[in-house]
Amino acid sequence: MTQDRLRRRWRKTTSILPQAALIYALLTALAIVMLGPYLYIFASSFKETYTLISIPPRLIPEQFVWDNYTYILGELPFSTWFINTILVAALVTLGTVLIDALAAYAFAKKQFWGRDLLFGLMLATIMIPGALLLIPAFLITNQLGLLNSYGGLIIPSLANVLGVFLLRQFMQTLPVELEHAARIDGCSDFGVFWRIIMPLSTPALATLSIVVFTAQWNNLVWPLVVLNNKNLYTLPLGLALLRSEFQVNYGITSAAAFLSVIPLIVVFIFLQRYFLEGLTVGAMKG
Amino acid sequence: MTSATVPSKQSNIERVRFWQRSAVRRNLTAYLFILPFVALFAIFNIGPFFWALWLSLLRGDLVSPVKPFVGFQNYASLTTDNITLQVFRNSLQYTVSVVPITVITALALAFLIGNRLVRFKDFFRAVVFFPLLASAAATAQIWSYILAPRYGILTYLLGLVGIPEIYWLSNPSVALYGILLVEWWRGIGFHIILFLAAMLGVPEELHEAARIDGASAWQVATRVTIPLMRPVILFSVVMGTIWAFQLFDTVFVLTNGGPVHSTATIVWYIYNHAFRYGQVGMAAAMGVVLLLIIMPISFVQMRVLGDSG
Repeated sequence: MTQDRLRRRWRKTTSILPQAALIYALLTALAIVMLGPYLYIFASSFKETYTLISIPPRLIPEQFVWDNYTYILGELPFSTWFINTILVAALVTLGTVLIDALAAYAFAKKQFWGRDLLFGLMLATIMIPGALLLIPAFLITNQLGLLNSYGGLIIPSLANVLGVFLLRQFMQTLPVELEHAARIDGCSDFGVFWRIIMPLSTPALATLSIVVFTAQWNNLVWPLVVLNNKNLYTLPLGLALLRSEFQVNYGITSAAAFLSVIPLIVVFIFLQRYFLEGLTVGAMKG
Repeated sequence: MTSATVPSKQSNIERVRFWQRSAVRRNLTAYLFILPFVALFAIFNIGPFFWALWLSLLRGDLVSPVKPFVGFQNYASLTTDNITLQVFRNSLQYTVSVVPITVITALALAFLIGNRLVRFKDFFRAVVFFPLLASAAATAQIWSYILAPRYGILTYLLGLVGIPEIYWLSNPSVALYGILLVEWWRGIGFHIILFLAAMLGVPEELHEAARIDGASAWQVATRVTIPLMRPVILFSVVMGTIWAFQLFDTVFVLTNGGPVHSTATIVWYIYNHAFRYGQVGMAAAMGVVLLLIIMPISFVQMRVLGDSG
């Protein structure tokens, strides 16, 4: 009996083995295609100019040099761009989350005249392509005297419809009894929002923060339009500039591209869950 | 709701007045809560939308204070201008290529990762997420080196299997597909992760039942799994189409529309006409056309979202 069962299991294993081997071979190929480009530019960022254009190409630098990094950090305002990007992305994230949460709370929990109409209108604007709004948004920012400033980068990006949508969905699921209890204890409207709703909404707030932060970190078009002072550049804009100024120095562009991605990779490794949850929300931003 | 249950000592009139006052107050606080959002939204979204429609009827550059009204002339010019026609062709050709390629390969890869024999599914999910982390500008930098002629590593690898050198970004008849290759790498993770989630949500009993009935793996996939994933596949096609029509960043950094306008897209046209060539009216008209292309596709998107949530 047992022998028979063992034989059956053995037959099953051996019949699965080639299939599993094929699947894992394909998965390895997939991993190489997805991660290979990152590893390749990481290696290339330590190559000296001669190795960069050697034929056949070398995967590993002949000798490790720090020249590319010393150049972008010393000769180019790369560290300024880096700090600008952190600053702008952090402030936009903070502002968006707060402004969106305030609005989402009212849309989720309060009755007021014009609520559903306004919400429908907001959702309808999702389908407007960003490129159409680009020109008038630029003109308005210009009118407000915000061109070439952090304000011009930050303020126009703060009202995020999808953030309101996401937070409203979440806040609607919070039990209303908690609010009542807080109100009986003498909490004001803002007190209920700040002390009850916000702490309970942490998962949704975290997801939105990740989505907004990533989008800002990688945003190219708006900084491109608003800025022409190189000292205010953010990383994507700086990288785009490098491309036009250093066409052939791939060591410099590799080092810069790698440094610009590293912070998000680190955040991703620790907060993967929120990245995955935010995927569909972030997607719809167009 | 709580305000309706006031103490019974109060008279009816007082009760009504109290209720009214509280309703007004409640309205007022609600408006205060949405005020910051609505103000910014009106200034930077609603306002610009109507202004853009108006601009599409004017002629002038970005900073000229007076822009003469030209009616629908800009729209008429869009249909006759050679570059415009090329731009429409490029965007259309790109979209109808990138969407099916991405969705079909993503579906295949989702089946690969979702296979019963695969452990560490979370690891492979993270692997395909990685390209989504880099900005389009950084991705463009990475790939400009990989795609470089002569010393580019892709040229070398293709050479190993006997494929002659391809000028991915400098040959006008190939460049659009060079961009497609980069965007495929950048975007496929989104579709794979979406499909994987939908696939793992299909109850295992359904697969089991099909298998007991003698269905092959291919039949289980095409007759059971894929039909059940239809809403997600539709969402993925819709999003992919919307993005494809709005392609800009990668083109701007890698080829800037060239060579000879072979990678010039709709949004590239809008950016350049507004901010480079001083033809705001043409740019806005192109923006409106883009809106008209996107709108029906977005309706589908909203319907899908409405069904799922």
